[in-house]
Amino acid sequence: MRRTFAPLLASLALLAGPLHAAPDAQQLLAASDTIRNPDKPFGLTTTLTEYRNGKQVDSSALAIYSRADDKSGQFRSLLRFVAPARDAGKLMLKNGNELWFHDPASKGTIRISPQQRLLGQAANGDVVTVNLSLDYRAAYGGEESIQDGEKQTRTSQKLNLTAKNPEVTYHRIELWLDAGNQRPLKAKFYSESDRLLKTAYYRKYQNELGRERPTETVIIDGLDPNWVTVMRFSDYAWKDVPESWLQRDYLPRFKPEN
Amino acid sequence: MRPFEIKGITAIHGTVSISALPCSLLLALLASAPATASELPGELDALELADAALQPVASARDWQFFAELAAGGQDQRTSGWEAEQRLSLDLNADIRFAPGWRAVLSDRLDLGWTGTLDDDSQVNTLREAYVSWQPGAAQIYDLGRVNLRSGVAMGFNPSDFFKAGALRSVTSVAPASLRENRLGTGMLRGQWLWDGGGISAVYSPKLGDQRSSAPFSTDFGASNPRERGLLVFSQAMTDWLNPQWLIFSEAGQSPQFGLNLSILASDASVLYLEYAGGRAASQIDRALGLAGAKSFQSQLATGLTHTFPNKLSLSVEYQYSSAAPAAAQWHALQQNGQDYGRYRAWAGTMQALTTQQALFTYASWQDFPLARSELAAMLRHDLTDSSSMLWLQGIQHFEQADLIAQWQYNQGSARSVYGAGPARQSFQLMLRYYF
Repeated sequence: MRRTFAPLLASLALLAGPLHAAPDAQQLLAASDTIRNPDKPFGLTTTLTEYRNGKQVDSSALAIYSRADDKSGQFRSLLRFVAPARDAGKLMLKNGNELWFHDPASKGTIRISPQQRLLGQAANGDVVTVNLSLDYRAAYGGEESIQDGEKQTRTSQKLNLTAKNPEVTYHRIELWLDAGNQRPLKAKFYSESDRLLKTAYYRKYQNELGRERPTETVIIDGLDPNWVTVMRFSDYAWKDVPESWLQRDYLPRFKPEN
Repeated sequence: MRPFEIKGITAIHGTVSISALPCSLLLALLASAPATASELPGELDALELADAALQPVASARDWQFFAELAAGGQDQRTSGWEAEQRLSLDLNADIRFAPGWRAVLSDRLDLGWTGTLDDDSQVNTLREAYVSWQPGAAQIYDLGRVNLRSGVAMGFNPSDFFKAGALRSVTSVAPASLRENRLGTGMLRGQWLWDGGGISAVYSPKLGDQRSSAPFSTDFGASNPRERGLLVFSQAMTDWLNPQWLIFSEAGQSPQFGLNLSILASDASVLYLEYAGGRAASQIDRALGLAGAKSFQSQLATGLTHTFPNKLSLSVEYQYSSAAPAAAQWHALQQNGQDYGRYRAWAGTMQALTTQQALFTYASWQDFPLARSELAAMLRHDLTDSSSMLWLQGIQHFEQADLIAQWQYNQGSARSVYGAGPARQSFQLMLRYYF
């Protein structure tokens, strides 16, 4: 019984929160991280479709295996391009700012800088698995009524995130969580000069790997709202990702199971 | 890091804190709340767009196949422009045929002709054909022809020990093409991995004596002319320092040591160093078959790649080989036509640095000048005789195809590194279609 009512009680406590003490923002952020990111090594397929002025201009697909670092807790990922055909089979290893790229045609494995986006939308593709609570300090920004990704008006808890170190991609993030269950609904990502880089809507929640997770993120460019990228997540599965795979020398060998 | 170029103003949004309102009033407001100020019309349009999008999920394939049709010409120094055409068929397949087992096949067929179809040439390059067995997560064994490439540098790879003799059909001087379209080496390879490191051991037997010009030859005489072995070791020391060490041995030659190192200098810059060293005769002595004295020789390539926020990546690389001729030796060699010809042929086959020092710059600009296009430029400059090669490439990507234009210009005096070729310049237009 106690287990059955626990989420309800927690929701009520959160709903009543503003009337009393502000909720622990860092805990809320950590809770939302666990919704976006499974707690064991896993794999998924990310399909990215890019639109300009309402017309599709590009699409690509990545098979991704991810595993959290035992020490830092941050995710490290092996990515393999599935589409388009010209990029199929290209590989990337992402471990924080350590990025390795392998082209199976030329057989070379080279280190690339975070800015060297050899494959265009990979910059979006690899933000899938990020534990924000590790890199950001959260402050509670109160409750707000927002439209979520399904265009439904929803009570949200706003978190203002500031980067703990200057090496992260986004120096400031505004994050809106569903007040009832801490699902991430929306985020705005800002640069060091406090310019809006992108707005993201997390939507189409479905049961994946044991809990409700967003299966689609709609990303709107901060400068040009007509530049839209839709990221769809499919083929969620638990995967064995041994520690020894997450290094440069294994990268040319990586081939996700179909 | 800025993942997108940002030039304009920040989208303005306002929010109204309602956290202090009584709960009952909050619920009432929720029931009738219109779109709040934080959702700009553009955001709602984007959600509508995403609702309408029905992009099917692409499934991974075990193979990649493309056909490339090329037409162009060479501006010969003595006879003017000569037209040439080419059709290339390129296949890569990587099939998991049983748990832990994979079969890899990589093959390319180049059919070229100049003027009429009667005057044609055919070259098939069996780049790779091997079986791979992975009995556990941390050990892998390969048997067959493997295109094993080492090296972090872009224009010259001293530690790429298996590059010698690997080129069979050169269709472009682009560095990527030279690495891609080459013969693999017949070998048995074992790789063992642990957290943050690994070791590979390669044994490559002698499988032939002579190169073959037969169109469909597997050409093991070119790829496996001597018995060779290679050990590759790497261990991450920190998050940013992960050197790779190599030891290479070849029948009749002294062991050679190699090192590859690349570090992140900033969030937009990578510094790299590639080195190989060991006792060896000079390149001229080796090319001419002379019994010259051996001494310790070093080869290196070191450079920097910087990526600008507008997607322009620029690499500058310095290349050095102590075994290659310095200015005086190079000048003397240029005076002896027969020796010069033999040396140039040897250096080309070995993919060695022709003279002692060179500079290499490479720039690529994504989405320039149009979306889904790419512009690339390469300049090779020989520091010993000041000759140069300039190469430009423009690519326009389509859904299933790429349209590619390449232009190459060689500058330098007769018998200089880049001025000696029969063609002053060349141009080719390629249409590559992915099946």
